[in-house]
Amino acid sequence: MSEEKMEQNQREKPMSLLQKSLVTGFIGGLLWSLLGSLAYYFNFSEVSHASFTLRSFWQNQWTNGFSGEIFSMLIIGVLSILAAYIYYLVLKKREGMLPGILYGVAIWFLFMYFLNPMFSAVPILSEMTMDTIITTVCLHVLYGTFIGYSISFEHKSLEDMKKEREEKSSQNA
Amino acid sequence: MIMSKSQKVPVSDNIAENQRYLKEHVGVGVSFDVGFRQIKVLKKDVDIYYLTGLCDTSFIIEIVKKLVEINDFESNHRKVKEIIHNRLVHQQVEEVKTMDEAVDQLLSGLIVIFIDGVKEAFIVDVRHYPGRSPQEPDTEKVVRGSRDGYTENIIENTALTRRRIRDERLRVEITKVGERSKTDIVFMYVQDVADQGLVDLVKQEIENIEIDGISMADKTVEEFLVSQGYNPFPMVRYTERPDVAAAHLLEGHVIILVDTSPSMIITPTTYFHHVQHAEEYRESPAAGTFVRWVRFLGIMASIFLLPIWLMFVMDPTLLPKGLEFIGPTEEGNVPIVAQIILADIGIEFLRMAAIHTPTPLSTAMGLIAAVLIGQIAIDVGLFMPEVILYVSISAIGAFATPSYELGVANKMTRLVLILAVAFYGVKGLVIGCTLYVLFLASRRSLNTPYLWPLIPFDPKGMFQILFRVSVPLTKRRPSIVRPKNNHRQP
Repeated sequence: MSEEKMEQNQREKPMSLLQKSLVTGFIGGLLWSLLGSLAYYFNFSEVSHASFTLRSFWQNQWTNGFSGEIFSMLIIGVLSILAAYIYYLVLKKREGMLPGILYGVAIWFLFMYFLNPMFSAVPILSEMTMDTIITTVCLHVLYGTFIGYSISFEHKSLEDMKKEREEKSSQNA
Repeated sequence: MIMSKSQKVPVSDNIAENQRYLKEHVGVGVSFDVGFRQIKVLKKDVDIYYLTGLCDTSFIIEIVKKLVEINDFESNHRKVKEIIHNRLVHQQVEEVKTMDEAVDQLLSGLIVIFIDGVKEAFIVDVRHYPGRSPQEPDTEKVVRGSRDGYTENIIENTALTRRRIRDERLRVEITKVGERSKTDIVFMYVQDVADQGLVDLVKQEIENIEIDGISMADKTVEEFLVSQGYNPFPMVRYTERPDVAAAHLLEGHVIILVDTSPSMIITPTTYFHHVQHAEEYRESPAAGTFVRWVRFLGIMASIFLLPIWLMFVMDPTLLPKGLEFIGPTEEGNVPIVAQIILADIGIEFLRMAAIHTPTPLSTAMGLIAAVLIGQIAIDVGLFMPEVILYVSISAIGAFATPSYELGVANKMTRLVLILAVAFYGVKGLVIGCTLYVLFLASRRSLNTPYLWPLIPFDPKGMFQILFRVSVPLTKRRPSIVRPKNNHRQP
């Protein structure tokens, strides 16, 4: 067997910060929308992400069911890449968890309050139950932490590594 | 004879002076286990001090024999010191100039030899500590694979690790901690893999420990190391298996060994280090993954099952179609929350009792607890059958948690969540879970985020947690330990 063909001899390249941020965005979208679907299924919340992405525009049998949730999860995953990209551009230098939490809350306000009229399947904020509001806020807080903390932590550790390397090279010189 | 303690007393060339010093400071003649034997070599007094129990008598006899034989073969009275040094038949012979050092070594189980007219003392390492031989640790059993485990003897423990990593770059540094106990602490790392910052941090934290003694060994060191406060979650991982320790050394972790304890401290650790078990790495990757997922399910059940069920009981309208059968069919005499908490505490009684009960009695205890109390509590109407079912499942989930410390911490979390649900329903559960995750994410163990690789997210690290990846495919060391050398296959 030639050397290149052995799977253990293939070396993978490390991901860049941007790539990692985008992957984080996608996975984060999938993960927290999955939890959102669960919360919807167990009636914690009257709305799920599918109410925004699908049910406001199509009222079909499938958009209300299991396949609708799955399809909507993918849409959220893709949209979430965008959210991660914005965080990467604007906030990556902020350290700690708080910026992420606030970012999540900001996204919640954007969709639940400002863009609310766009979505016919979503009741206006004042008509939602307290359970719904709290559940969705918490999900967004966790989602924001996930995206924000991941990106800023990765940014910081890359910076630290760069600094260490510089120190080393200056010591050698 | 008054001397300040900070002053170092030199070994005197008058042997009577040394005798007096040891009598005063170590209590020779008062403490029965410290003794000395005086012999004459070339017309000079030679005192051999020892601590019975910590040294090997057969070695001492051999050494004394050789020393006495000097009188038969040698006659040069001026070179007594050199002759005795030469005749100490042991590979570890040391010369000390101060009494403090001599006393330290004597109390560690080495023998000290004073010669009249010589300003130095000889130390010979004839230690033999009481202890057991390596056994498979109770908490980390595997079906196949090595059955040896760490013991209470730190020297044996370093040897057990060296047996697995013969690398010249494995570093084993030793320090002493405790003003009175003078406990040995060793930390091990692979020099060109472990992050220098981490090694320095651990070294500094250990050197900063100021205490008279650390009888609880590893646990005390852990408390100084990670300054835990009232956070119940374990911030370091313990292992009693040399193979687990060696695997972590190769990943770039620093291992701390504390004398008198068979539990090694692995630093730094994250939450997910506590949900893995050596067993998974002794099975094929697919089977290992399966075992791991089942274990995750158990751990999740131990935290979330009871609060969620309680919520459905309190508000059955939450249940989706097809799941309406969940929840008790009849109203009990006691509120469900009280039942759950009582049953949970009952299981805690059982667990504690099982630790203290001698084995012959524990069968009887199990019978009483399981059959009598469980069944009769239902018959009397105290507990609902469903309560017993769910409490048992979550208790077994806690037992399936590989880390005992994490199991207990999860149990406490569960109790808090149950109370949150009881008071605030859905809101309590959701906010409780959110705070739980945020709390864990905000913790740091030696500068390492506790929930890594979930928050902050690391795709490769997470993949390794979710799937037991086969070893040939594990090409990189986990990035969280910031290894100097990333590639596992050179």
